[in-house]
Amino acid sequence: MLAVGAFMLFAAFIAFNKVYDIASPSTVVQSAAWFGVGDDKFEPVKVQTTEQTLSSNINWSIAIFVLLVVLVIANVFDISGLAARLSGKENLSGNNVNKYIMIIFLILGFIGVYWEFSHHGKYTLLRNSSSEHGVEYDSMFNVTLILTMIVFVITQALLFWFSFKYAKSPNRKAVYHAHNNKLEVFWTLIPAIVLTFLVLKGHQTWRAITYNADKSKSQNIEIFAYQFGWKARYAGADKILGAADYKYISGANPLGIAVKSEVEKLKLELDTAIMNDRKALKDLNSSLSQLRIQLELYKGLADRTNVVITDKEIARIVSGEVKDELEESIRRKSKQLERMKAIEDNKTVFATMFNNAADDDVISTEIHLIENRPVTFIFRSRDIIHSAFLPYFRVQMNVVPGMMTQFTFTPTKSTTKIRSEKNDNTFDYYLYCNKICGTSHYNMKIKVIIESESAYNTWMQSQKTAFGKEAAPMAVPVSLPSDTTQMRLDSLPVNKLQRLTSR
Amino acid sequence: MSTATIQTGHANHDAHEHQEPSFVRKYIFSTDHKMISKQFLITGIIMGCLGMFMSVLFRLQLAWPDQSFGFMETILGTWAKDGKLDPNFYMALVTIHGTIMVFYVLTAGLSGTFSNLLIPLQVGARDMASPFMNMLSYWFFFISSVTLLSSFFIETGPASSGWTVYPPLSALPKAMPGSGLGTTLWLLAIVFFIVSSLLGGINYISTILNMRTKGMSMNRMPLTLWAFFFTAILGVLSFPVLLGGALFLIFDRSFGTSFYLSDIYLQGIGALTNVGGSPILYQHLFWFLGHPEVYIILLPALGITSEVIATNARKPIFGYTAMVISLMAIAFLSFIVWGHHMFITGMNPFLGTVFMYVTLIIAVPSAVKTFNYIATLWKGNIRFTPAMLFAIGLVSFFISGGLTGIYLGNSALDINLHDTYFVVAHFHLVMGSAAIFGMMSGIYHWFPRMFGKMMNNTLGYFHFWFTFIAAYMVFFPMHFMGLAGVPRRYYQFTLIPEFGVWMDVNVLITVSAIIGALAQILFLYNFFYSIFKGKKAVQNPWESNTLEWTAPVKHLHGNWPGAIPTVYRGAYEYSRPDREEDFYPQHIPGNDNEHVDDHGYILPTPVRKEIPVAEKPATVFFTSFSRLFSFKRA
Ligand code: HEM
Ligand SMILES: [Cu+2]
Ligand SMILES: [Cu+2]
Repeated sequence: MLAVGAFMLFAAFIAFNKVYDIASPSTVVQSAAWFGVGDDKFEPVKVQTTEQTLSSNINWSIAIFVLLVVLVIANVFDISGLAARLSGKENLSGNNVNKYIMIIFLILGFIGVYWEFSHHGKYTLLRNSSSEHGVEYDSMFNVTLILTMIVFVITQALLFWFSFKYAKSPNRKAVYHAHNNKLEVFWTLIPAIVLTFLVLKGHQTWRAITYNADKSKSQNIEIFAYQFGWKARYAGADKILGAADYKYISGANPLGIAVKSEVEKLKLELDTAIMNDRKALKDLNSSLSQLRIQLELYKGLADRTNVVITDKEIARIVSGEVKDELEESIRRKSKQLERMKAIEDNKTVFATMFNNAADDDVISTEIHLIENRPVTFIFRSRDIIHSAFLPYFRVQMNVVPGMMTQFTFTPTKSTTKIRSEKNDNTFDYYLYCNKICGTSHYNMKIKVIIESESAYNTWMQSQKTAFGKEAAPMAVPVSLPSDTTQMRLDSLPVNKLQRLTSR
Repeated sequence: MSTATIQTGHANHDAHEHQEPSFVRKYIFSTDHKMISKQFLITGIIMGCLGMFMSVLFRLQLAWPDQSFGFMETILGTWAKDGKLDPNFYMALVTIHGTIMVFYVLTAGLSGTFSNLLIPLQVGARDMASPFMNMLSYWFFFISSVTLLSSFFIETGPASSGWTVYPPLSALPKAMPGSGLGTTLWLLAIVFFIVSSLLGGINYISTILNMRTKGMSMNRMPLTLWAFFFTAILGVLSFPVLLGGALFLIFDRSFGTSFYLSDIYLQGIGALTNVGGSPILYQHLFWFLGHPEVYIILLPALGITSEVIATNARKPIFGYTAMVISLMAIAFLSFIVWGHHMFITGMNPFLGTVFMYVTLIIAVPSAVKTFNYIATLWKGNIRFTPAMLFAIGLVSFFISGGLTGIYLGNSALDINLHDTYFVVAHFHLVMGSAAIFGMMSGIYHWFPRMFGKMMNNTLGYFHFWFTFIAAYMVFFPMHFMGLAGVPRRYYQFTLIPEFGVWMDVNVLITVSAIIGALAQILFLYNFFYSIFKGKKAVQNPWESNTLEWTAPVKHLHGNWPGAIPTVYRGAYEYSRPDREEDFYPQHIPGNDNEHVDDHGYILPTPVRKEIPVAEKPATVFFTSFSRLFSFKRA
């Protein structure tokens, strides 16, 4: 038995030594050092600090301590077990040891929970909401926290206490007690009442957040997600976010907004692409004996399109995979053109979409918001599901292709304020992607800046419209028009139009 | 009674007993439920080790994102160039880890093992309703496992879009490498898995309904059987929905349909032609299985725990009826709460409200179960067998993990908690750790029944305490990361300045995970060593009441050499004051008509009108169904 103990101890030490090795000499990332870096590139700065290693070592020592307690107690098994065997009584030593570990675990466990709350609780967002509804959110959270912690402490304590107290003793028989209806009704009703309360409060909070009364007077900003980044679109001088459609997306028009000149360019692009594809396809379709020539031809095309022809690529050509892809590409692009034309042919649809509203839209790689002004994010995804997550504001909403989603909230704490509150001059809010979306999911974020109205206006002044006629756009007026309905993107039947026209 | 047909069926079966089946029939294509349960268990253990190993690999990445681990390159090749895990492969590991743990270990490995072992033995039947279907169930599971694992050997790697495999990410082969062939294999594996689980589930239900021995009325069944029964019903009703969802996904991937796709522009490809589908539809279909699935995982563990706790506390399980009703309530409610996984998908907030209401109602039967477990310990005479320790561990995890469910089921709170490490902490405690502990508890408890040998107790104690503490140290700190907004499924956190403060916590978690993983070596050693060299088990080592302990230690095809024992009372008559011994097995004839009140006084028997089991509508349905598949054995 001691051998087992020694083995575990050994294993634990190996693990700890490894940690220690890695933690001390090389690459512990020191949080404070991060913030000195410039805006866009967050190259982590690796600094070796003794504090860091120290604080990790505190963790280790706690871990080791807990394990040692278990080990030492468990080693008692042999000795007392031997004694019992010698005296010929039933061997209860294992039972007794476990009974004591139960109670030790209970105590150490509660200490651990307390330690967690005091050390890591401070990093959590509990006290830091930066939005109006966040206050309600936090109170809901705190109520739940208090109630669940009470239940947690009581039930865990009873569980381990009973395990300790009623551990087997040779001269006792368990009480035959199969049920007690009064007790059971009681402990069915208590949780039922508590949960009714939580449900009702939750309902109220949820309603306050989702049926936000500010919606009608909020500023609409489109948040556009793609693999792997975000863009924000502001309405520009006309206060209307122009229509957009995934069919209009091109290199120059990444959000696919309905701007006539861009759409014309895209149509040309598509035509050329189809022509190229057809040509490549024709070349490929020549007889197999001319494979070399075909490869040369294809290579010519490849040079034009910057494709590197590797052995793998050749294999794909020979297997017919490339041919399939070209055919598919032609089919796809023709369909796209066809649908674009269908929109043009439908005069009313076309007029609603191409009303020049998009011309002055501003597309930005940062989100700037005005402190204490309600804002509605309208989310659109280019490719797959993403999720816009702003933990400080208690905001999260999935971004779903083919379906616009939205979230209305009011930021209340400017970037400057939170910096001084956190005592960290380099802190910035971010919007993170929180739905797995591929390779770089872990690095898909956009900076969010909450600022005063004037700072916002200055920033907006410096922005350029996407393809605008004016060089410098006007700021989005701060005073909102009385008729706010016409500002709403979702009041535009864009999605419906797409459905009508895409078949 | 209903068992009449079966018993006659076995009259001639007994005659064959002396001739030993061939090796292949006995160990590979066996139709004996005890052998099949061992096959499920061993496969489950192997899958569990793989899943755990994967978690250690990706935990290393999270703890030391800048460190290079030479051994990784050795075993993973190009997926860990220079000893650093590739981001895509990180996602693949997380995905397959989740899939393996949820489906392969805790559905097939847990429910498959113990339903197979215990249902016939505890109801008093010679085998499953359809032994042949049972064998098919294992082999579909096996094929499914092989299919899933084979995706590690293809160029583009395994599925990487999370164990939920949400489209469009999973539907578009160009969206990430894992969405190519890897996802096709994943879907294929899941289809096989669903077939396996349906074959198993239908069998479990019909066996429990039809093949109970004389005297084994439903309300005398051990809670394990009730749990397996509801689990099987959940599986049979919800897995087909996933099958539908998976088939649509296969169509979208391979045949150009647009069930889940609309308005997509892919980098490097352009605008796709798909319009009109909705990715949210997939989520509805997936979670219609997905939520019941977590109870498919948990209920058997809860059933096992009830049995183990009552046996080792030497007390009747407190509130048997309440336990059954709460199992039933949980099973029913689990069908109407799937939307709590979708609060922030942009679905109508009104739906969110409805799903919040029903979700939080589940907390009531769950609380009742917890209180009843604790009340069973009260004034017991507790023997800490390793099985008992794991059962107590389960209750502890069930409390810790269940309470955080009250946060996540609240649609308002879920806004900020969804998809963060808070969720990872929650489900690992309530479903991962709790169910694994239930499984461990079951293994330690029924090991003598399975292998005729005893496992070593002391090793079991070490195994328990190390695993228990390690699991808490792994998952408890994750709550706080989640509360700070740390998203799950992130390859590394070094690119996000504000998460720098979690570096040392990540290291703590990883070290604890490694210790927890090492502790499993104790278990594996104990398990395999005891199979061959363990102390011989006696007939009824835990002095338990249930029928499985009446069958001879040496395995017989048909379980009992003579007649099947008759049952005279419920399974939880421990420490009855009118008995010398502190247990009263179900099959011992005695004052079997008596009815004992809470204090042990014998009351006049209430007159109960028995409906013959064979005439109940459900029985008729399942009997005829299972007959379709019950082949006569030669
Ligand atoms: C061996 C101990 C285990 C450790 C250290 C562990 C650790 C983890 C971690 C850290 C993640 C999140 C990774 C990420 O989001 O990037 C994860 C995911 C997951 N784990 Fe575990 N886990 C363990 C056991 C289990 C068990 C027993 C289950 C059974 C239910 C389980 C089920 C899952 C699931 C379903 C996911 C989600 C996968 C996904 O995001 O698609 N794990 N695990
Ligand atoms: Cu993402
Ligand atoms: Cu659920």
